[in-house]
Amino acid sequence: MAGMDMELILQKIKDKQWALADIDWDAPGAETITEEFRPKLKAFMADLCWIENVGARGFAALATKAPNPTIAEIYRYFHAEEQRHANAELALMRRWGMLEEDEIPEPSVNIRMAIEWLDTYGDEMPLSVLGTVIPMLEVALDGALLKFLLEEVHDPVCHQVFERINNDESRHIAVDFEVLDMIGHAKARKLAVDFVGNVASPGLIIGALMYVPLLNRTRNNLVGMGMDPERLYTAMARFEKLGSRGEFTHRVPLYQVIRQHASMVINPKHPYHLLANAMVTISEHYPKALFRPIPTWFKELTYEPVTKGVKKGMNAA
Amino acid sequence: MTITANKPRKRAAKKPPHVHTTVVIGAGFTGLGTAIKLREAGIEDLVILERADRVGGTWRDATYPGAACDIPSLLYSFSFAKNPNWSRTYSPSAEICAHIEELAERFDLTKDIRFGAEVTSMAFDKAEGRWTVETAGGTAYLARTVVVASGPLSESSLPKMRGIEDYQGAKIHSARWDHDFDFAGKDVAVIGTGASAIQIIPELVKTAGSVKVFQRTAGWVLPRVDVETPDVAKAVFAKLPLAQQAARTALYLGHEAAATGLVWDTPVTTLIQKAGLLHLRLAVKDKWLRRQLTPDFRAGCKRMLMSSDYYPALQQDNCKLITWPIATLTEKGLRTSDGLEHHLDAIVFATGYDVQLGGPPYPITGAEGAVLQEEWSGYAQAYKSASVHGYPNLFFSCGPNSGPGHNSLLVYVQGQIAYAVAGVRAVVERDLRWLDVRQDVQDEYNVQIQKRLRSTTWMSGCTSWYLTADGRNSSMYPGFATQYLRQMQDFRIADYEVASHSATRLWNASQAPLTAV
Ligand SMILES: Cc1cc2nc3c(=O)[nH]c(=O)nc-3n(C[C@H](O)[C@H](O)[C@H](O)COP(=O)(O)OP(=O)(O)OC[C@H]3O[C@@H](n4cnc5c(N)ncnc54)[C@H](O)[C@@H]3O)c2cc1C
Ligand SMILES: [Fe+2]
Ligand SMILES: [Fe+2]
Repeated sequence: MAGMDMELILQKIKDKQWALADIDWDAPGAETITEEFRPKLKAFMADLCWIENVGARGFAALATKAPNPTIAEIYRYFHAEEQRHANAELALMRRWGMLEEDEIPEPSVNIRMAIEWLDTYGDEMPLSVLGTVIPMLEVALDGALLKFLLEEVHDPVCHQVFERINNDESRHIAVDFEVLDMIGHAKARKLAVDFVGNVASPGLIIGALMYVPLLNRTRNNLVGMGMDPERLYTAMARFEKLGSRGEFTHRVPLYQVIRQHASMVINPKHPYHLLANAMVTISEHYPKALFRPIPTWFKELTYEPVTKGVKKGMNAA
Repeated sequence: MTITANKPRKRAAKKPPHVHTTVVIGAGFTGLGTAIKLREAGIEDLVILERADRVGGTWRDATYPGAACDIPSLLYSFSFAKNPNWSRTYSPSAEICAHIEELAERFDLTKDIRFGAEVTSMAFDKAEGRWTVETAGGTAYLARTVVVASGPLSESSLPKMRGIEDYQGAKIHSARWDHDFDFAGKDVAVIGTGASAIQIIPELVKTAGSVKVFQRTAGWVLPRVDVETPDVAKAVFAKLPLAQQAARTALYLGHEAAATGLVWDTPVTTLIQKAGLLHLRLAVKDKWLRRQLTPDFRAGCKRMLMSSDYYPALQQDNCKLITWPIATLTEKGLRTSDGLEHHLDAIVFATGYDVQLGGPPYPITGAEGAVLQEEWSGYAQAYKSASVHGYPNLFFSCGPNSGPGHNSLLVYVQGQIAYAVAGVRAVVERDLRWLDVRQDVQDEYNVQIQKRLRSTTWMSGCTSWYLTADGRNSSMYPGFATQYLRQMQDFRIADYEVASHSATRLWNASQAPLTAV
């Protein structure tokens, strides 16, 4: 994997742009979603869409610390592409009659926490932290969530949309792991300093407190919908496999931590879940009043393929 | 009788074509300033070739709403041709253009200007010691010396964006404003957030229905305090030119001080950034918008932006900053990478100018048949930004490594004019066939320049129009204006190889040094 030509990847990204307007949102197939499946799917899609949006914000933070200008530009595109995924997923929800006029689904408490964390600490995290956490989320999304969704949903428009999303994601993951390997290439001393410096930092501790219940909540939702936990296992194994292809990835301390952590998440009998599920419950009781106002970047999501004029503060560009 | 009648005609055919002392290309600030100074030095036989039908250059062409200079007018003018009447600190484009027109009148230059004469190529004849300057109309002009004053930013074109041919709405380039298009109530996009855009946007939001601003990179914006010049000041400046000179000197020194942060990457640069961030924090409430507007490069690395009404304009109800990459233009508007299509009645391309890092667009053939643009295709090189080995009797304005990052361009141009006038005088007074800068002198100069560039903000890692594709800086001058002026006022004939008309013997200047002019 080492020595990927980033200029070439950037060119490819530019060539492969797509838009909501490319898809016929009124084409037949929406009726394949049954009434009883709809509420579960709505919850799943809402989470998925907000996780994309959180990923988007992560790439925005990454762009400012990219190892070179080409990768910075790639992250700028990835930021937008995650937003595009979220927009397209909203459009699917709208198509399936899950959203009223102008309705945007409520983010869960855990998402709100993730957002607050990203807004407060995201930009301060070094490349070695963001560059390790984001591949993990991408692999989990790509590997577990999307594949599962495509098996459960038989709407052809949904498949059309996710074919595009998956193509984008394969480029994300390729770049993610290439950069992870570049991070591993850094001087051991720098890796250690970054790691030790941040393990002790409030940013990362709060981050972990936010990450643990977010992941478990998503996992529980999926399993609740009938997803075989085995899938998560496959996805996590993929994280390891992709990581092991890089020559230097294994030297990144946080990569090792996340890998260990992932193996706990996928093992349903691991006592870790007692803790993590407790944290989910606790977070449910997190007083809403403590949240700061939703940041404006969070209000940019829209299911409208076409915009004309400026609507401020609304979910439209 | 038929024979006598034929005689004069025969004589006319044999009469050699007229060779001017100097051809000046361009009738903007620089061309006219050069002509004024050449006349002052006793050079009367000159002609100014201008492709347009009026003088003014940049300020004739930049007519977009809000166009104005961003260096105070007192300093953005020639010290030898002042204007006591500037209406504001930063005068609008039309007023600057009127000032240039007034200069042409005041110094009686119009008679020497050939309008509608677009230079298409020029070549040096070594044997005759003269340039042949071809124009689009077919007329050729001969001259012993040429001053290139065709402008650093005089060419512009629509950017090569994906789908630009497909877009059917109005396409307006900031440099060639379409005054027939009525923006009232229209949905408009502005692409670019550089020096022109930040002047256009505050004006557009006043009339357009909506303005979407598409930004690629956020620039450093410092407040610009633009006030009307009090009548008293105008009266004082008119009666007491020394008072105006004093005000100008104060401004000049103020800008020179800024060089310690804008030219060199120093703690002062950090201080300037703090000022920029403070400006941003005071002007923009929303945290995310502030983040979008926070530059990610060292201040000075790209052109500083001066505006107090840009940030407020972006926050108007009908304006929105969009930082998603533009994926493509479409028939009805454009698509951004977040998957949305924006329908637009007009797109304003505030995408800047075709920077002439590789020389003017018209081919210049030197003494030995080499073409300047080919030599400069990697990067441009000159001696003191004005002379190039192999291209004798030719003087550039705004040449390689002559750009200021912190001061009025016209201060630098004044130095270039002084240098060109000294060169022309050398040719005339010594009756030279050619005057060609020595290769070793030019090389040594460039080694020094590149060495000094290393610690500048321009080389601190951003991509800008100052740099060539492979990151070499052949546009900016790494130093104070004062240093630049000192070098330009010091024309040394010993730096040149010369050949005189009277003695055809080649003087290698190093062997037979001549005193400086
Ligand atoms: C919008 C804008 C704002 C600016 N603001 C500032 C500022 O605030 N401060 C500052 O220091 N600098 C500023 N500049 C830089 C500005 O270009 C110079 O300060 C100055 O105007 C240059 O004058 P000039 O005479 O050298 O070139 P120009 O003004 O460009 O004049 C060149 C002339 O040559 C003519 N010409 C070009 N090619 C040919 C040809 N082939 N044949 C014949 N004639 C030709 C053109 O028609 C034009 O009339 C600004 C530039 C722009 C574009
Ligand atoms: Fe995604
Ligand atoms: Fe992704």
